[in-house]
Amino acid sequence: MTAENGIPAVELDRVTKQFADFTAVHELTLSIGENTFFAMLGPSGCGKTTTLRMIGGFEDPTSGTIRLHGEDVTGLKPYRRAVNTVFQSYALFPHMTVEENVAFGLRRQKVDDAEIKQRVGETLELVQLSARRGAKPKQLSGGQQQRVALARALINHPRVLLLDEPLGALDLKLRKEMQIELKRIQQEVGITFIHVTHDQEEAMTMADTIAVMNQGRIERLGSPSQIYEDPRTPFVAGFLGASNLMNGTVSGNEVGLPNGSVIRLTDIQAARCNGHATVQIGVRPEKLSFFGNGDANVPVNRLTGVIADTSFQGVSTQYLVEVPGIGQVAVVEQNLGEIHAPGEEVLMAWKPEHTFVVE
Amino acid sequence: MTTATAEPELARMARRRAMVPYLLLLPGIAWLIFFFMVPILRLIGVSLQSGIYPNYEFTWEWGNYAQLWTTYRGQVWNSLRFAFTATVICLVLAYPLAYFIAFRGGKWKNFLVVMLLMPFLMPFLLRTLSWKIILADEGLVVSTLKGLGLLGPNATLLATSAAVIAGIAYNFLPFMTLPIYVSLEKLDRSLIEAAADLYATPAEAFRKVTLPLSMPGVVAGTLLTFIPAVGDYVNVLLLGSPNEFMIGNVIQSRFLNVLDYPVAAALSFTLMIAIVVLLVPYVRATGTDELVA
Repeated sequence: MTAENGIPAVELDRVTKQFADFTAVHELTLSIGENTFFAMLGPSGCGKTTTLRMIGGFEDPTSGTIRLHGEDVTGLKPYRRAVNTVFQSYALFPHMTVEENVAFGLRRQKVDDAEIKQRVGETLELVQLSARRGAKPKQLSGGQQQRVALARALINHPRVLLLDEPLGALDLKLRKEMQIELKRIQQEVGITFIHVTHDQEEAMTMADTIAVMNQGRIERLGSPSQIYEDPRTPFVAGFLGASNLMNGTVSGNEVGLPNGSVIRLTDIQAARCNGHATVQIGVRPEKLSFFGNGDANVPVNRLTGVIADTSFQGVSTQYLVEVPGIGQVAVVEQNLGEIHAPGEEVLMAWKPEHTFVVE
Repeated sequence: MTTATAEPELARMARRRAMVPYLLLLPGIAWLIFFFMVPILRLIGVSLQSGIYPNYEFTWEWGNYAQLWTTYRGQVWNSLRFAFTATVICLVLAYPLAYFIAFRGGKWKNFLVVMLLMPFLMPFLLRTLSWKIILADEGLVVSTLKGLGLLGPNATLLATSAAVIAGIAYNFLPFMTLPIYVSLEKLDRSLIEAAADLYATPAEAFRKVTLPLSMPGVVAGTLLTFIPAVGDYVNVLLLGSPNEFMIGNVIQSRFLNVLDYPVAAALSFTLMIAIVVLLVPYVRATGTDELVA
């Protein structure tokens, strides 16, 4: 995660932000490496935007220290930080052309005209907007405005780029395109991107590392697959994808469910149950499969129930299965075989490595 | 069979719907014709009459217009000078005031705007009359300034051009402040943050972003101040002396005291044209139409 010199791009050390009546960010400690695509994910009010604004210098932390590349910048004004921001509503200057918007930062830094001209050209090329350089922001589409905002920030070669819900205002198709585009640009320019979003899919698509935030704290930090496969808390399990959560009693490597089923855990997951009599376990809907009575190689973790609802979704079908003593369990199956109808009694099973323990 | 009757019916409805915008325009146009066009044409007609009251006749008397330059040059100069100075003073006072209310007003914003409009609850004449008392030769202001040695022993404030300019500036300050306040108030705060993010110091952010985006307010404010100020005569009557007479005073006395309608009409019409001629290049130069988002 860190570059050769080992100094992280951004470090937060016990940063707290207290507003009049609530604590937006609580004792947050975080280290973000060089050249990372880092996403802060969480519901609105979780403190992710406040954290971003503190890194950008728009808010001062109530306590704690913020370091950029090892240098303490706490209390430094935004215009003194080598950090640039892509704002949620883009905040393009309406009275300036695309070119003037993009050149704004370099002009303030008194870069000479020839270099400005060259860098504006290159940056507009990077975001594929060279043809619209003379247009005013209001003459551009949402996606184009988004690119101008990105170009206006990137042209300054910031060491860290902050993105505040940059794709929130775009429609679904454009959003998907821009996700790939943003990732391409990040890899091309090789600087740290810190991306704030409430869209879990967006975070997983783009980020190398995700911090899931809730109530001013980081609940889970890791790569998208780590967090998805082992969410650790009920909040993360529910916020990032869908989960079936079940309560059970621990005995060694196994968890007994209220309906009498016994669920096998991996050693790593079992170790996390140590010292707990009861525990909550979970499994992702797509990890469950249906099996017939005569099937061989049925995984060890099994539940039986009656299908309550079937919804066909094209690539897959989602089932809600009523399991006595547990409740409804969601199952997602690829559409390879027959589709089960509501009322059918089914056997579902999954492998031990797909069970996770939440605390 | 059915289409044959349905089509004219639809066509008639479409035609009727097409008429609606014009019907809605009608009251406004009628108002403009009866209360603006007709009086203006009548004014032009009167301005070319000659004779002795009450027997004026239409004689293409262009000489009425010449009087503006031959007889009333001084008053025209006073009008432009006083109105211009008062407008500049208003702008200098109003911009920081509007900026403060819009950006630092917080929950007091609406209260402060109401305070700004408070003087309007008192009639224009009374407000100006009270200035006459404040600036009177035996009043507190004059005696204090004399005591501090800032005014000579025989100096006065009343009946000076300074008093007239101060009166105009005082009376028109809200007209300048409100449009500027509105343009600053609706300014997207994230634009200022974006400027700071892009290495603009607060001064640069103001010069490059806040000021240009508040120009529509500044232009509206200067127009709302300058235009009525050029034609004002009340401030001179109450706070000035005949030496400070503006063109408004001349028109007023020509119309009401001397009953010299033709010259008064010629002066009025010229004043109107002069204002338009002065302001069109100003509005063009500030290019406000480009700024309206």
